[in-house]
Amino acid sequence: MSEPSIEAVHLSRRFGSFLAVDDVSFSVARGEIFGYLGANGAGKSTTIRMLCGLLAPTAGEARVAGFDVKTAPEAVKASIGYMSQKFSLYLDLPVCDNIDFFGGAYGLSGPDFAARADEVLRLCDLENEHDAITGSLPGGVRQRLALGCAILHRPAVLFLDEPTAGVDPVSRRLFWRFIRRLARDGTTIFVTTHYLDEAEYCGRIGLMVDGRLVALDTPSALKRRYVPGRVLSVHGRNLAPAAVSLRSRPGIITVEPFGAGLHLQVAAEDWNADSVAQALASAGAQAVEVESGEPTLEDVFLAVVARPREVHAP
Amino acid sequence: MIARPRWTVQLRAVVRKEVRQTVRDRRIMFMLIIAPLLQTVVFGFAVDFQFDHVPTLVVGHDASAQSRQHIRRLLADGTLRDAGHTTELSEVQHKLQTGDAAAALILPAGLARDLAAQRPAEVQVILDGGDPNRAVVVAGAASRYFGETAEAMVKARLAARGIAPPPLIRATPRIWFNPSLKTPPFMIPGVMTILLVITTTLVTAMGLSREREMGTLEQVLVTPIRPVLLLIGKMTPFLVIGCFDVLLVLTAGVWIFGVPLHGSLLLVATGTVLYVLSTLGIGLLISTVSRTQQQAFLAGFLFAMPAILLSGVMTPIRAMPLWLQVVTFFNPVRYYIEVLRAVLLKGAGLVDVWWRLLALLGFGLTLLTVASLRFSKRVA
Repeated sequence: MSEPSIEAVHLSRRFGSFLAVDDVSFSVARGEIFGYLGANGAGKSTTIRMLCGLLAPTAGEARVAGFDVKTAPEAVKASIGYMSQKFSLYLDLPVCDNIDFFGGAYGLSGPDFAARADEVLRLCDLENEHDAITGSLPGGVRQRLALGCAILHRPAVLFLDEPTAGVDPVSRRLFWRFIRRLARDGTTIFVTTHYLDEAEYCGRIGLMVDGRLVALDTPSALKRRYVPGRVLSVHGRNLAPAAVSLRSRPGIITVEPFGAGLHLQVAAEDWNADSVAQALASAGAQAVEVESGEPTLEDVFLAVVARPREVHAP
Repeated sequence: MIARPRWTVQLRAVVRKEVRQTVRDRRIMFMLIIAPLLQTVVFGFAVDFQFDHVPTLVVGHDASAQSRQHIRRLLADGTLRDAGHTTELSEVQHKLQTGDAAAALILPAGLARDLAAQRPAEVQVILDGGDPNRAVVVAGAASRYFGETAEAMVKARLAARGIAPPPLIRATPRIWFNPSLKTPPFMIPGVMTILLVITTTLVTAMGLSREREMGTLEQVLVTPIRPVLLLIGKMTPFLVIGCFDVLLVLTAGVWIFGVPLHGSLLLVATGTVLYVLSTLGIGLLISTVSRTQQQAFLAGFLFAMPAILLSGVMTPIRAMPLWLQVVTFFNPVRYYIEVLRAVLLKGAGLVDVWWRLLALLGFGLTLLTVASLRFSKRVA
C-alpha cells in the first residue's frame, strides 16, 4: 500500500552531552492515531520538534507526509498541523484574526479560504466566538481554536503535543471525538499526552523512557505483554504495612499504591481476590475489599518505567 | 506534491497581524504617536542652549555715574539680568551657592577716578562654573562689552588730541543657516533621531521577545513561513510608523518652532528609511539575545543611551576624546543626525551626504543580516 505517513529511522538528538532522543525508529500509517507517552523530559517534545522540522536531528532520518525533515523542512511544514499544550495563539487578537493570520501563514487566501474558515469555525463550534478576544476565552474554547488554526490547511499529519493539558473533562471528551473523526477521514494523528486514559483512544502507543522508545504496540497488546497475570485493586484500612509483608510472597508480581488503595499484579495460578483479601487481613489490614480489574495503561506505564531502572541497578 | 504557499499571501498575513496587534495595544500606540509629539514640545520648549537673562549680582563699590552707566549698558543686551545690588562679598557667595545668581560683577571702588587719572582699572566677573556653557557665555558678554568700551575710550582720547584713530581689525560674525541662533532648529532633528532609535529598536526587540514568551513564535515557525519573511513582515509596519513619526515631528517642528526646511524632503525620507533599517536591525539583534520582554527592554535602553550620547545629538563629537570620536564612526545614530542637520538646516544635497547614506545602508544591511542569521540559527 502507500508509504507510511510518518517514518522515523534511528532518529537521535543530542543537546551537548545530553542525549534527548536516542536511536528511535517507528512508522505511522495514514489515518492512524499514534500515541507517544513518557514522563517529562523523556524526549517526547524533542521527537515532535524534529518531526515538525523545528529541530534538526543529530543522527538518523525522518520522513513526514513523504518529505524528508532534513532536506525539505518547508514541505513538511506545509503538510502538517501542530498544536501544543500552550495553545499558542495571539491572545490580544479576536478569534477571527487568529484564523486569518494562520490561514495566511499557510498561504490560504481568497474565497476558498473564507469558506474554509467558516467551515472550521463551525467544526470547532466557534461560530459565536468569532469576534471575542482570544485571551478572554476559557481554556476549552482556546483549545478548539488552536486546533482549528492547525487544521485550516487540511494537513495530512496533525501533531498534538499535550493537547488537553488544563482542559476540563467534557472538553477533553469532545476534543477526542473530533480527533477520531479527523483520523477516520484520513488525517494521521501523532499525539503526546499525560493522561493515560486518553491514550486508550490511540491505535498504537509508543513509550519513551530516557530518550529511548522502549515499547511500541496497541494498548491491549501492551497490557498483555507488560501486565501478565491478574490485576487486583484493593481498598481498606491499614493497608500499607500489610502490603509490605505481601510483597515478599511468591506469585506477587507488583504491589503499587493506587489512590487510597493498592494495585496488585499477581500470578493468576497462585492468587485470586479471596486469597489476597485473606493474606492482607492476616497481615493486619482491616475492612479489606478486593476487586479484580482490567489492567490499565497506567499499569503498563509503571511496569515499563520500572524495567530500565532494574537493568541499571548495580 | 504540496504547492508551495505564495510568499505574498504569507507576508500580507504577517503585516496585517502585526498592525492589528499594534493598533490594539494602547501602550505601543502611545509610544508611537503621542510620545513623539510630547517629546517634540518638551524638547522644543525646554531645551534651550541660548543663555538669556543670566541672573547677575552687581557689587558696586564705585558710586560714580560712569559705573552706573556701565552696569546699565551691560545689562541692556539681554544676556545678563540684574539680580540685585550689594556691597557685601559674603552675599555674593551666598547667592551663587543658592543659585539666585549665576554671576557677579564687581566694580572696584574708585573705578572712574582711576580711569580719569590714567590708571588701569579692573572689573571682576565671578562666574558659577557649575554650568560651564553658561559661564562661558557670561564671560564672553562681559569681555565683549568692556573690550568695546576700552576701544571707544581710546578713540575718544585720540580724537581729543586731534589724532585719527589707527585702523583696527575687527571680527564680524555673520551667522548662516540659523541666524538668530535659536535652539529648536538644532534640537528638532535631534528629537527625530532619538525618537526613532528608542521606538523602533524597543518595539522590535520587545515584539519578537513577546512572541517567544507567549509561545506563538514556535507556532508560527511550524507554519511554512520562512523566518526571514516573518522578520520582514514584522518590521514593515514599524518602518512605516517610523517614517510617519519623522513626518509628525518635522511638521510640529516647522509649525511651532520655525525649523527651516532648506533641503530636499525626499533626501530626508531616504535617510530615515536607511536609518530605521539600522535601528530595526539592532532591535532584532537584541531580541535574538534576550529571552524575555524585560530583558529586551533593558537591552534596548542600554544600547539607546550611549548611542544617543555618542552621536552628537546633544554635544559636539569634536569635544569628545579621540578614542571616543573613533567609536562614533560605528554609530548609525551619528550619521542620521548629520544627514538631518545638513539637509534640513543647510540645504545639503545628495552630493554632500551620499557617503553618510551609504554608511547607514551598510549598517542596516549588516545588522539585519546578522540578526536574521542569528534568528534562523536559534530557531533551527
